[in-house]
Amino acid sequence: MKNNIIEMTRGFFNITVAVNGEKKELAVRNGEFLLDALRRHGWKGTKKGCDTGDCGSCAVILNGKPVLGCLVPAVAAHDGAITTIEGLGSVREPHPLQAAFVEAGAVQCGFCIPGMILSSKHLLDVTPNPTEAEIRKALDGNLCRCTGYVQQVAAVKNAAKTLAGKGKRA
Amino acid sequence: MKNIKYYAFPSTTKEAVALLLNKRYKAMALAGGTLVAKTLPETVETYLDIKNVPIKNIKLQGGNLVIGAGATFNDIDLSKLCRGWAGGVISAAAAKCSSQLIRNMATIGGNVARPHSFNIFPVVLLGLDAKVRLSSRSGARLVDFQDLYSSGLGLRPGLDSLITEIVIPGKTRKWKCEFVKLAKTESSWESYITLFFSAEKKGKGLAQVRVAVGALSPKPFRAPETEKVLLSGAGPVAAATAFAAELDAARAGEYRASAAASLLKRFAGSI
Repeated sequence: MKNNIIEMTRGFFNITVAVNGEKKELAVRNGEFLLDALRRHGWKGTKKGCDTGDCGSCAVILNGKPVLGCLVPAVAAHDGAITTIEGLGSVREPHPLQAAFVEAGAVQCGFCIPGMILSSKHLLDVTPNPTEAEIRKALDGNLCRCTGYVQQVAAVKNAAKTLAGKGKRA
Repeated sequence: MKNIKYYAFPSTTKEAVALLLNKRYKAMALAGGTLVAKTLPETVETYLDIKNVPIKNIKLQGGNLVIGAGATFNDIDLSKLCRGWAGGVISAAAAKCSSQLIRNMATIGGNVARPHSFNIFPVVLLGLDAKVRLSSRSGARLVDFQDLYSSGLGLRPGLDSLITEIVIPGKTRKWKCEFVKLAKTESSWESYITLFFSAEKKGKGLAQVRVAVGALSPKPFRAPETEKVLLSGAGPVAAATAFAAELDAARAGEYRASAAASLLKRFAGSI
């Protein structure tokens, strides 16, 4: 790297990025988008749906904001911080949002859920007690073909209450 | 994207413009990239990422509203300054762009850098008499938004120059405005038609009106005959009739012309 320029070598750009709090050196292909780069490097919780920026299945949090992984050139994540669904919780220790989605029955096939949960996480980070309109606006780019956008909204409300309770106890 | 050989991320406007002008790099500037990241011209060899260039502020300057070209739709939607300007029409328009995930990424500069029918901001900026600050080889210059796409300007924003600011003139601050996006769903990127109406009252009459139309062609256009009818005080019905005729001449189609005329009639009746 020289003067804020990265040159491609043998079809790859070498970038530095923090994924789920862990600093990584990644080789990303020329023309590759963040969604594909993440999946190729093992973060397969990020889903490939439309690949045109319409469905939101590929949403990840990049530098504090949910973005569409299918529209961000992978090289543009250089020096950035990414949160994928794997960074939130696990089956044994789910994040309150993940637990709330399961408890509310907000998950059917589950394909859209990683993106939906990451959009919800950002919403609750900036708006801890959102209105229904704010939840629906935050999730308007996350399409779900199974459900009717009712239980997901309820799940986000429930998670907000859980997180608020945790904040009070802390 | 496959022809890209360099990824550049300058931290100043000067550096960015220098890279654009350096023939070695064949660079193109991208901000959010939502419109062009997947369709970069094959001749482009350098992806010039302007995320670190400090052109994201929204501020008042000399009585004008100045929106940094790097401000995202979400920034503009949430900006108190934008919400308080011209009845909040700029924020309202930003909120109607596609989805929250797109609004987090897409910038106003990118939205006006090159014409596209479904871009939200051009129709609003045309109606608000906006100006665009361009940095190029010859320094910074302010051009009328309506001249941005004209070949007479001799510049290709993003390829040989950089849009750094959008300037909304102070005279528009108190204008009564309305933006309408007529689309299949609220989060559709595509629209059947986008409309911008504005009016400023003076005594019993009107001091100015603007009627601008988008989504029918890559460049938005104003409806001068409809504006004349509104200014003459002929009333909402006459204005709607004139608007339908102008849209018919622009080959808008019966549904669009009829819906747009009804919306104008509603606006004119509310002045």
